[in-house]
Amino acid sequence: MLKEMLRLFKKQQNQEPPAKDKVVGERTDLKEQQFSSNLQENLSVIRTLYSIPDNKDVKLREMYLEGFNKNAALVFISTITDVKSIEENILKPLVENTSANKKVKDIVSIQMVHEVGIFKDAVKDMNKGNALLLLDGEAKAYILDCPDFQSRAIEKPETEVLIKGPKEAFNEKVVANISLLRKKIKNENLIFESIEVSQRSHNDVFIVYIRGLANEKLVDNIKERLGSLEVNAIQNLSLLEEYIEERNYSLFPSVLTTERPDRAASFLEDGYIALLMDNSPDSLILPATFWAFFHSPEDHYLKIHYGNFTRALRMVALFITIFTSAIYIAITTFHAEMIPPDLLLAIASSRERVPFPAVIEILIMETAFELIREAGLRVPSPIGPTIGIVGALILGQAAVEANIISPIVIIVVALGGLSSFAVSDLSLNFAVRLIRFAFILCAAMIGIYGMTAFFAAGIFYLVSLKSFGVPYLAPLSPNYKSSKDTIFRRLVKNEKLRPGFLKTSDSQKKSDGA
Amino acid sequence: MKQNKGKIGIKEYIAIIALTVGTKLSDDTPSIIFENARNAGWIAVLLMGAMAIIPIILLIKVFSAHPDKNLHEVIIHLFGRFFGNILSIALLLAGVASVTVDTGTYVDIIGTMYFTKTPTSIIYMVLMLVCAYGAKRGIEQIASVAWVLIPYLKITLFIAFLVSFNSGHFDFIFPIWGEGKMEIVKSSIKNVSIFSDFLFIGLIAPLVVSFKDFKKGTIIGLFIVVFEISLALISYVMLFDYTTAELLNYPFHETIRYIEIGFLPNVETLFFPFWLVATFIRFSFYLYLSAILLGGILKIEEFEYLIPLITIIILLLGLAPDSPSIYLYIMRQKLLMLLSPAFLCLPPLMWLIAKIRGDFKNEAVQESS
Amino acid sequence: MRQYKNLVKVLILVCIVLSMAGCWDKTELDEKAYVIGLGLDTHEKAGKIKVTYLIANPEVGSQQSGGGTNEPPQEIVTFVANDFISSRNTANTVISKEISYDLLSVIIVSEELARKPDFVRVMYSAAKDREIKRSAELIVTKEKAEKFITDNKPTLETRPHKFFEVKIGRGKETGMIPDTDLNDFFQVSESDSDLFLGIYATTETEEGDEGAASDDDFMAGEIHFGGKEKAAQFAGAAVFKEGMMIGKITGEETRISSLLDNTWELQDFITAFQDPFDGQYRISARLAKPRKNTYQFKQQSGRPVIDIKVPMYIEILSDPSLVNFSKNEEKIVELKKSLTTSMEEHLTQYIKYTQEEFKGDTFHLSIPIRKNFATLKEFREFDWMKSYPDAEINVSVDIRFGEFGRQTKLPSLQELRD
Repeated sequence: MLKEMLRLFKKQQNQEPPAKDKVVGERTDLKEQQFSSNLQENLSVIRTLYSIPDNKDVKLREMYLEGFNKNAALVFISTITDVKSIEENILKPLVENTSANKKVKDIVSIQMVHEVGIFKDAVKDMNKGNALLLLDGEAKAYILDCPDFQSRAIEKPETEVLIKGPKEAFNEKVVANISLLRKKIKNENLIFESIEVSQRSHNDVFIVYIRGLANEKLVDNIKERLGSLEVNAIQNLSLLEEYIEERNYSLFPSVLTTERPDRAASFLEDGYIALLMDNSPDSLILPATFWAFFHSPEDHYLKIHYGNFTRALRMVALFITIFTSAIYIAITTFHAEMIPPDLLLAIASSRERVPFPAVIEILIMETAFELIREAGLRVPSPIGPTIGIVGALILGQAAVEANIISPIVIIVVALGGLSSFAVSDLSLNFAVRLIRFAFILCAAMIGIYGMTAFFAAGIFYLVSLKSFGVPYLAPLSPNYKSSKDTIFRRLVKNEKLRPGFLKTSDSQKKSDGA
Repeated sequence: MKQNKGKIGIKEYIAIIALTVGTKLSDDTPSIIFENARNAGWIAVLLMGAMAIIPIILLIKVFSAHPDKNLHEVIIHLFGRFFGNILSIALLLAGVASVTVDTGTYVDIIGTMYFTKTPTSIIYMVLMLVCAYGAKRGIEQIASVAWVLIPYLKITLFIAFLVSFNSGHFDFIFPIWGEGKMEIVKSSIKNVSIFSDFLFIGLIAPLVVSFKDFKKGTIIGLFIVVFEISLALISYVMLFDYTTAELLNYPFHETIRYIEIGFLPNVETLFFPFWLVATFIRFSFYLYLSAILLGGILKIEEFEYLIPLITIIILLLGLAPDSPSIYLYIMRQKLLMLLSPAFLCLPPLMWLIAKIRGDFKNEAVQESS
Repeated sequence: MRQYKNLVKVLILVCIVLSMAGCWDKTELDEKAYVIGLGLDTHEKAGKIKVTYLIANPEVGSQQSGGGTNEPPQEIVTFVANDFISSRNTANTVISKEISYDLLSVIIVSEELARKPDFVRVMYSAAKDREIKRSAELIVTKEKAEKFITDNKPTLETRPHKFFEVKIGRGKETGMIPDTDLNDFFQVSESDSDLFLGIYATTETEEGDEGAASDDDFMAGEIHFGGKEKAAQFAGAAVFKEGMMIGKITGEETRISSLLDNTWELQDFITAFQDPFDGQYRISARLAKPRKNTYQFKQQSGRPVIDIKVPMYIEILSDPSLVNFSKNEEKIVELKKSLTTSMEEHLTQYIKYTQEEFKGDTFHLSIPIRKNFATLKEFREFDWMKSYPDAEINVSVDIRFGEFGRQTKLPSLQELRD
């Protein structure tokens, strides 16, 4: 109901007139022009657009072609093109060409040539690292594909580390990422469509799916959403994530980020959709359910019992990290009769000297733990180990000896903190950490009753979350036909069905004869 | 597999039944049954189950003739608008009254057993808030939550039973007919309306995926809850013997306070959260049902907005009584006695009227054509 | 938009206020004084009792790495009160923390108070208080409970909760004290057909001769121990009828009662029998019950006739007469016969004693009897408590031998002395 009120309010306020020139400084007037037959006119427009000679890496190569008997000019941005290829495959053939009847397309031996008529398209292609060939007397230009952006090489994954399994990760070049994916799925139905989001930076987002497997409506939905974004710049997928998520204020993520191509490929094979972008060494997988965050690919690479053991361990770790501190507070302050007498007396004796109530102790320790964690991430590597020692010393021994906290609190918080590392996905990790604080507060207010009430409310919320039309806890909760891979997995040869909630066209992963 | 919006599958349906009716073993229902039947309470429950089968089957039959209507619409269809509305209002009042009494009882349990100094209103508010939130989310959500959590709830219940069977003495069950066969029958008839939930479940009949699932689910659910409750009654008698079991207000909570598991002397805090979760699900479901019925009577399509209204009413009414543990117990007894004849008589009446009106003939015609 | 923001702000404020004012049930662990034992004595004024609190000191024994305190392990307070519920606040004039019954494991009652008919009224407060568990133990002491608690100074288990836990636990295993607790007290008193056995203990040692008739035919306090142990003695039981104490039985009698009782478990029952081959000596044996007893019930001319069959599994642990059992099978048969007769005699004697002295059975006999009645009404009409003294009860013991010790063959005395 509140949402309806919100919608009405928003409608009232969104009444600005649409701007004429959506992005300032884009010189749309110039760009909408067509190429003229005069080479010099075209070149002067190009010079204005690219601010040559201020822009040092934009190269303008003018030449006289013997064979055609015309002037020509080659414009390219040298830092993002493959200059060698330009020299050998474009300049050389052009310059050495003697026949007058051949077309440009047949002379240059570059991989791809196409023609453009207006400046806008030419500029767009040039910005993507292609070269522009202008011939005097022709009212069009030729775009020659030769991009070569600088980036990192393919390296090992940093955040999703496996012991057994492939060790390649996506990197910032979308071409390399596409190549990695194609290496895993050698199928002509693996489609990479691209949509331009962001108006100033002209970034492309690639939608990856397997035609015939993924649900067409879902693909269209995503394309529509991406197309309707009116933002200046979306540099990489992490920023895009926020734009396409449905509930931005929710604690739980609804799209999955992964830097492993094998994971992305297995999701694609199940009928999910992936998004790739330049500058993002990861890919977004939609729609994402809770299980996508919870599972790790290693579970399937190991034998079934080892995999299930790791899963059970992870589930236990999830519960420990969310509930330990809260249970400690609830039991010691509200339900002391639960503790065995020896432990009870031990805790009572160690708490006598501590000035704070249990809640404050736990909150202090939790905050300190989170601080150490953040500091550990940002610390430059030479000082890294020192921080670890300092942290352990200060938070451990000294605090206890100074009677600021009692020793059992350290155990409780350390246990909770360590267990949170078992949740491998970064977003879910944060969600879990934040929820932990909420539970601590509830436990401090009304003990186990408060915790359970919050937990019940949380489960109701979780069950009603939908990520692109798919319920968050599917296939566990609304009962869909699926491979039953939720908490525990089965033998790979028994996981025969694709997830039903994706409404794929082909729901059988393998034939029954296997 | 396509899943339609707003529908619940058979597994979730059975989970809801098992949780809403099954949780009755953990409040003062056992003491009400023990009052007459003494240590043969479990036989009384089995008898109640047997008695309840007939109205339930008749009810299902009536629904088979009107597959897409819920209870309210069927009542209007059978009894006409005027009498149908009056009947529905009576049902609604009975429903809201029993939800109020039930929530009051549960808040009392939490207050006396676990949180003595906290004011009742706070406990009540938290309970109602969470249940209202759950009910507002919708029936599929309640069903999903029930299905997701039911294994854990039932496993802990089973563990509690196991431990209490171990600590108890089986011979306390004898003499087997308790106070007397007449007393057992009396107790059954007075209290058969603990299964009257099945009548109200008719309100969500069209929301179950297929009618066959509804039928199967109801019968299976009935068997499960009858089994559960009689097992619970057996375990209470085994642990406490008949005199004490009758005197205890809330035998389930006394049980979990008494049993010891290994090195842990007091395990009530272990079972308490699971019982709480079952309670939340149960009352969310009741709130949702009340909202459907109220929406049907007042002809409001979006009945989900009625939920906050009903919640506040129940909250205020539930806080009103003076000495809750005594007064609510009496109210509960009276309500159960009142609803029992309604539960036993209403479905046969409905079936008769449906037969007279020829609704079943229509169905036969439909099937053949 | 603005309304939404305001709503959120108001909600947060409400939550903060609630959290400040609230947390009604919250008490930190170190704000409570944990009462381990509750002592109850009579007081001259009617309606009042004397309450003694045995409060544990958490600091003693709590630090693994030494660094303990010099404080005593417990704190004892005594005062007059109406019952032990309202006494919680009265105690706070002396005790600095809130009294908590969370760790209450024993309720110690003096014999004087237990023999009073009003004793039940006092005990029912325990059923109403939320913190007192029904699994607490009921101990009856010969002297005043106050004196018992003060004089009880065990050397090794200085922490009081540990002392009671292990002492009572072990006592129940050997069968010297009955396996009952508060729950049983309420159950037996309410069902009104059996007698309740409460644990009997004392710190006073009696003057008596050192060689009693059998090893366990003694009450608490009658055994003399050398050495420096000043702990209380736990042996025997106090017999309660309808909530009031009417007598006591010795350790041996408690053990016999446990043999006849179907609801108790025997764990480590070692006792000695008269050696049939040499009257001076006694054979030590370990007894175990492999199955539960069976009961047959008939009504003969108004008198109930009950046959109890007790299956026993006996391991012979000593052989002072140096009879070589492994070589002589007829000796085993003889031993079996002698043991059977001896046990049946003891059991029948005890049953007669309960019929005459106490006029009730101490071993939950009414429960197997209940099987033979169809409704509770019939059972009530039968009135077991009244019929028991006239009942004819026949006990038969069925012995199976187990092992004969680590070394079954023994040298003959003549060979040894040769």
